[in-house]
Amino acid sequence: MEIKRNNQNIFKKSINKINDIKQLKVGVILLVLLLIVSIFAPVFATHDPYSLGDEMIAAPSSTHYLGTDGLGRDVFSMIIYGTRTSLMIGIVAALISGVIGTLLGGIAGFFGGKIDRLLTEINNIFLMMPTFFLILIVVALFGSSLINVMLIIGLTSWVGNARLMRAQAMSLRERTFIMGAYSIGEKKWTILLKHIIPNGIFPIIANTTMIISGAILTEASLSFLGLGDPNVVSWGQIIYNGREYMTSAWWISTFAGIVVVLTVLSFYLIGDGLNRVLSPKLHDQN
Amino acid sequence: MGSFIIRRSFTGILIIFVAIFLNFMLIQLAPGDPISILSGQDSPSPEMEEALREKYGLNDSVGVQFLTYLRTLAGGDLGESILSGRPVSEMIGERIGPTLMLTLTTAILALLIGTLLGIYCARRPGSKLDNLLSGLSYLFDSMPSFWLGMMFILLFASWLGIFPTSGMVDLRANHSGIAYYIDVLHHMFLPATTLTLLSIPYFFRITRSSVIQVMSEDFVTTLRATGMSEGRIFNKYVLKNSILPTITVFGITIAYMITGVAIIEIVFSWPGMGSFMLNAISRRDYPLLMGIYLVLSISVAVTMIVVDVLYAFIDPRIRYSK
Repeated sequence: MEIKRNNQNIFKKSINKINDIKQLKVGVILLVLLLIVSIFAPVFATHDPYSLGDEMIAAPSSTHYLGTDGLGRDVFSMIIYGTRTSLMIGIVAALISGVIGTLLGGIAGFFGGKIDRLLTEINNIFLMMPTFFLILIVVALFGSSLINVMLIIGLTSWVGNARLMRAQAMSLRERTFIMGAYSIGEKKWTILLKHIIPNGIFPIIANTTMIISGAILTEASLSFLGLGDPNVVSWGQIIYNGREYMTSAWWISTFAGIVVVLTVLSFYLIGDGLNRVLSPKLHDQN
Repeated sequence: MGSFIIRRSFTGILIIFVAIFLNFMLIQLAPGDPISILSGQDSPSPEMEEALREKYGLNDSVGVQFLTYLRTLAGGDLGESILSGRPVSEMIGERIGPTLMLTLTTAILALLIGTLLGIYCARRPGSKLDNLLSGLSYLFDSMPSFWLGMMFILLFASWLGIFPTSGMVDLRANHSGIAYYIDVLHHMFLPATTLTLLSIPYFFRITRSSVIQVMSEDFVTTLRATGMSEGRIFNKYVLKNSILPTITVFGITIAYMITGVAIIEIVFSWPGMGSFMLNAISRRDYPLLMGIYLVLSISVAVTMIVVDVLYAFIDPRIRYSK
């Protein structure tokens, strides 16, 4: 009973917190809408996004809400199904980057010494590389399947997370409760995984939310270069396909782009909102 | 100062080396056999395949191949394009001018506009303009660059017809002298505006938060207590201290901007490396693609180190602390 009430309190508190911070509120509302759309895509879609219709480049109307593309596919339904692709790529890539960043940063900051110097140097190298071109070459060489795209984006975007986690680990390892853990004989790895990472993870969660935005934009850019997965509908591909019809059918690219902006914006807002929860000082000043 | 430059240069060399190594490893791991393409489709003889393998040194161990690769790179040889058969370095050389022009113009414009707006808003936090610009900076951050470019083409080129849709010069007009430069500027307006708008948020945010942070420091309070005017405190003490992070960000932003430039070039058919890269991708011209990647990595590394050294030159804390 006690625990239940406590849980309710936490829930209420987080709702209050979300309401307090404007960015977080708007971002969460947008995200919930997107999740609903992606889960119930078949309900919302008016046509099969893969089926080629007879009406090519038809203007938006009551049968085709956002018109049709050059192959007669319904743009509205394609955008609805594209939500799944974009969200999946964004979230999986960000998770990969979150796990790698947390582990490498945690190890560097907690163990220090030579390992730290080595990992920091690797970090600096990654920071100074134009990673988008690396992603591009890898996808061009190894194929543009959804898995490849998610993997390579995740593998190249962990630098920021590693830096944050390293700073967290360095400040946490001096704290009394970590000393306490040593004194009861816990192993270093256990301390890292059980105490350091869980206590320092919050800024990484905020940053990872923003990486979702970056990953969605990267996937869109790849699709725009013709390097998207041809087997799924994605927003970047809709924009890419619409480019040839810009003058005769502006609606194809325009609407898909607006959806990308809204989605990316929602993750940015959530990330920024979480950062504000973390540092109320910054919040007051703004 | 000297040791700082040496340390940074060492990191730079390391980065270039890693880029070369990655380049090499990617080609090694990539699926497909170059010999089966070179020897033709119609049942090539094993002897010919063997001869080709020997000719291109593919029988050597991976280590030896890497050394050969390094040696040829050191001589400025980036290989030959599969499609045109011309040296990659020569092809890149022809295309690098327009890219540099676009990148530098937009980088400097974005730096100036973003920093000025950042300073202006930081002195009036919470004002209407501040809220508006902060909101806009989010919006531009969330936009796919190519989409914004396409929207500009739709609006200003297709519908209003004020600006040309693509290219760098009007090939039919055959301008010379001043008219030529005006024509280039006219063509550059839309791609440069797109890129500048997308890069302003970086500088705007970093300057704004940096000024706000310096303004809240104790020495500013002390200066206020002495009765010094706000304007004097700002111009004489706050500005110098808060402008430094902008310079660091400038280096990193260049790396991101090069990505943006490449994609915007494709949208506006700007005759630089980006549109070139698209050709290389769609025709799977790997030597060309790799060459472009290497040249970009090296230029980004060099730019960042120059910026870092410049930073250390301005701010003594950097060169002494590390």
